[in-house]
Amino acid sequence: MQMPEPSQDIMNQREALAVALRQIVGQEWVISDEAERRPYQCDGITAYMAMPLLVVLPGSAAEVQQILRFCHAKGIKVVPRGSGTSLSGGALPLEDGILLVTSRLCNVLEVDAANRVARLQPGVPNIKISEAVQHLGLCYMPDPSSQLISTIGGNVAENAGGVHCLKYGVTANHILGLEAVLMTGEVIRLGGAYLGAAEGEMDLMGVLTGSEGLLAMVTEIAVRLEPVPEVARVISMSFASVEQACACVGAIVGAGIIPAGLEFMDRKVLDAVSVLIRETFDSNTAALLLCELDGTAVEVDALVDVVSDVARTQGAIETKVSTTEEERQRIWSSRKLAFSAIGKLCPDYYCTDGTIPRNKLPEVLNKMADMSVKYGLDYANCFHAGDGNLHPIIMYDAAKPGDLEKAEAFGADVLIACVDAGGVLSGEHGVGVEKRDLMTHQFTDIDLNQQQMVKCAFDPAELLNPGKVFPTACRCAEFGRMHVRNGVVRFPDIPRF
Amino acid sequence: MTQTETACLRPSTTQDVADIIMDAAAAGHTLAVTGNGTRRGFGNPVAASRELTLGGLDQVVFYDPEDLVIRAGVGLTLDELESMLAQKGQYLPFEPPRYTGLYGTDGQRSTLGGAVATALSGPRRILSGAVRDFVLGVEGVNGQGDVFKAGGRTMKNVTGYDLSKLVTGACGTLAALTTVTIKVLPAPRAELTLVLPASTLEEDRALFEKIRALPLGVGGLARRVAVDGKCEVVIRVEGTVPGVAGNRQVLEALLPTPPRVVEQEESQALWRDIRELSCLAPKADELVWRVNLPATAMPAFVDEARKAGCINRFFVDWAGGIVFSTMRGVQPEVDALRYRKMAEKIGARAMILRAPDSIRSQFGAFPPVAAGVAALEQRTRAAFDPAGIFNPGRMTVQA
Repeated sequence: MQMPEPSQDIMNQREALAVALRQIVGQEWVISDEAERRPYQCDGITAYMAMPLLVVLPGSAAEVQQILRFCHAKGIKVVPRGSGTSLSGGALPLEDGILLVTSRLCNVLEVDAANRVARLQPGVPNIKISEAVQHLGLCYMPDPSSQLISTIGGNVAENAGGVHCLKYGVTANHILGLEAVLMTGEVIRLGGAYLGAAEGEMDLMGVLTGSEGLLAMVTEIAVRLEPVPEVARVISMSFASVEQACACVGAIVGAGIIPAGLEFMDRKVLDAVSVLIRETFDSNTAALLLCELDGTAVEVDALVDVVSDVARTQGAIETKVSTTEEERQRIWSSRKLAFSAIGKLCPDYYCTDGTIPRNKLPEVLNKMADMSVKYGLDYANCFHAGDGNLHPIIMYDAAKPGDLEKAEAFGADVLIACVDAGGVLSGEHGVGVEKRDLMTHQFTDIDLNQQQMVKCAFDPAELLNPGKVFPTACRCAEFGRMHVRNGVVRFPDIPRF
Repeated sequence: MTQTETACLRPSTTQDVADIIMDAAAAGHTLAVTGNGTRRGFGNPVAASRELTLGGLDQVVFYDPEDLVIRAGVGLTLDELESMLAQKGQYLPFEPPRYTGLYGTDGQRSTLGGAVATALSGPRRILSGAVRDFVLGVEGVNGQGDVFKAGGRTMKNVTGYDLSKLVTGACGTLAALTTVTIKVLPAPRAELTLVLPASTLEEDRALFEKIRALPLGVGGLARRVAVDGKCEVVIRVEGTVPGVAGNRQVLEALLPTPPRVVEQEESQALWRDIRELSCLAPKADELVWRVNLPATAMPAFVDEARKAGCINRFFVDWAGGIVFSTMRGVQPEVDALRYRKMAEKIGARAMILRAPDSIRSQFGAFPPVAAGVAALEQRTRAAFDPAGIFNPGRMTVQA
């Protein structure tokens, strides 16, 4: 993984910059000591590490504004970070850039139950939103697996999904307003704290969401709240083959049902979790589907019947339906423990998140089996089947020379297979540094240029999170003059990172 | 610009669109980009030297019902699209309005591209989301004649900037879209509407709030003017047959008076009327407004605006979060400014849906945004269309 060459000149200014930034945020909120910076070296993807120049923890949006204005004037790069749970290296530090951490911006600013909106600072952990409105019978729907730790600001940056986004949508579908600071220190406010507050505006909010911290630093988020569904039940369905399980996914959706969640686990995952949950699975089971249905009791009962019928028709070996909340939690525990269970089987694992059209599931899963043979690495599958979001778990041993590289190559092959099947490189983890160099497989140079032109509109100096998402720098200054006719590859001489 | 003076270009392939744009850019022409032109009256009047009509791009690229996705040319009409989906028991949850009744055009010719460009969402917005929430991917041509794509066909996608959202609602000022990929959903099996006499605005709003707090999946809450001139509250319940029956009971127990129940086709027709603002029945010289606001602020806002003579007839949708109204055409310059000021005071967004060209040119059909946002919008526009050849003035007002 190659990153832009750090500037030695800026790295030499570390102490002077720390002094200046302390004037903005206060003495204790700039971390310059090497030992104290070390925990910030990586995010959720530990394979990539870099020491940040400084770690800065602002206490208000006004401080964010001053920091960015200062860094802009000095030409200092800035990497935004929430809790650092990114699984694509989105918050990977730069040695010549400051890490701007939102941990202190962690207040729920307002809960407006009547208009069903909450206003939040970016450092609020996802789970805290639902906790803050639970007593009102409301919740915040997007629930990434990292929700205990990951922040709403990070969720906005990565357009986070989660188990329930099949029915309820991803982060972008739940954001009503954003306040953000551009790299120049200019504050912009988009949308507002009610449904429809962004009507008639250019959808800059839409492009900021999922922009992986490259366009602006979000300082306030207005989210929509939903009533907590009256009841949720989960159906567990086991199948003798992966193909049958995949076919059942399509059949459920084809029957006109949008489950709240629809998850797939293969035999390897089941074997790994069975130890943890002290439950055995039928020996003929090759794959298990978990289908959650929510709504009113009457509605859910009706849907449970339909899904059970579909499962039978699709040849399910066994179908179990939760009748109590405890049973529902127990059935889900196998899925929730899947990743830690696999972690016990191998020293290290690597997980990507390509997304494909549902009907391509068998095709891509078969290709994965071939790749496993090719690379000599074992793998397991546990993923969001309902929306075709794959999470292959590639097992390797970092202590074995060459194993990590093989795992990475395996992962890249899976992502390429996803794109070739009409899908995308990332469903919810983001591109970050991890999938950056694969972007040219999904997009043409023209597509990427168009995206980078937008970067130039927001951050022409390219100081905000550079080296992420795109395999080349923008060269904003030159774009204005460039024009090459269709089909001609632009900038063949651009240095790739 | 009058249509007779303007050369009209009607390509039917993406490559032709690209060639036309490249030629226009080289020749220094500007382009009025439309679908079938049924909503030229929406947004600001455009002054362009050529007209680029995309209605000929009306092919379905693929429709995969099991994957809940369709990709089609922007010229496909919404009517064709909706009937194709209906054959598979699916629908567009954002319920795109045509508003062609306002503009005296043919609603059957309104296109998918127009729905995306205007980003207008119908009554089900409160439950299912807006147009932007269903646009998964686009292909289009930028102002330099480059064909680009963005997004994809999967619901989950964090791969590069979401340019699909950016072009949604940009009224064709960023790119001439050629195809769009849309997420669709299974249509509810059953639908009914509970109708009851309206009370005061505040009481009706409070009822909406109470209903929305329940997890019943209510996909329509409006207060409209009935045929007899009286106001009524309408509540749409959708879902499975047993689910709808159950929700109906819960709601009936909650309502102050026993409602009249309207089912299936009749209910659908009722909501089509709401979607198309039929009950406003604006007179020829009246202006039509669409104001988004926090539902809790709606009663006081409407009262004040009526007293000030800025609202003539009106109705409320989105559980109180949107007010559609007519304004008398007696002194539109004065009233438009006053009405917008009233909206701005409470953070509401007042959009002009219909007005004479002079009014929309002067005040802008879209509510004004802060200077910094306007500048960023302008830079973003330049990122797609540096020479400003697409729909000049459609979204912006010259200072």
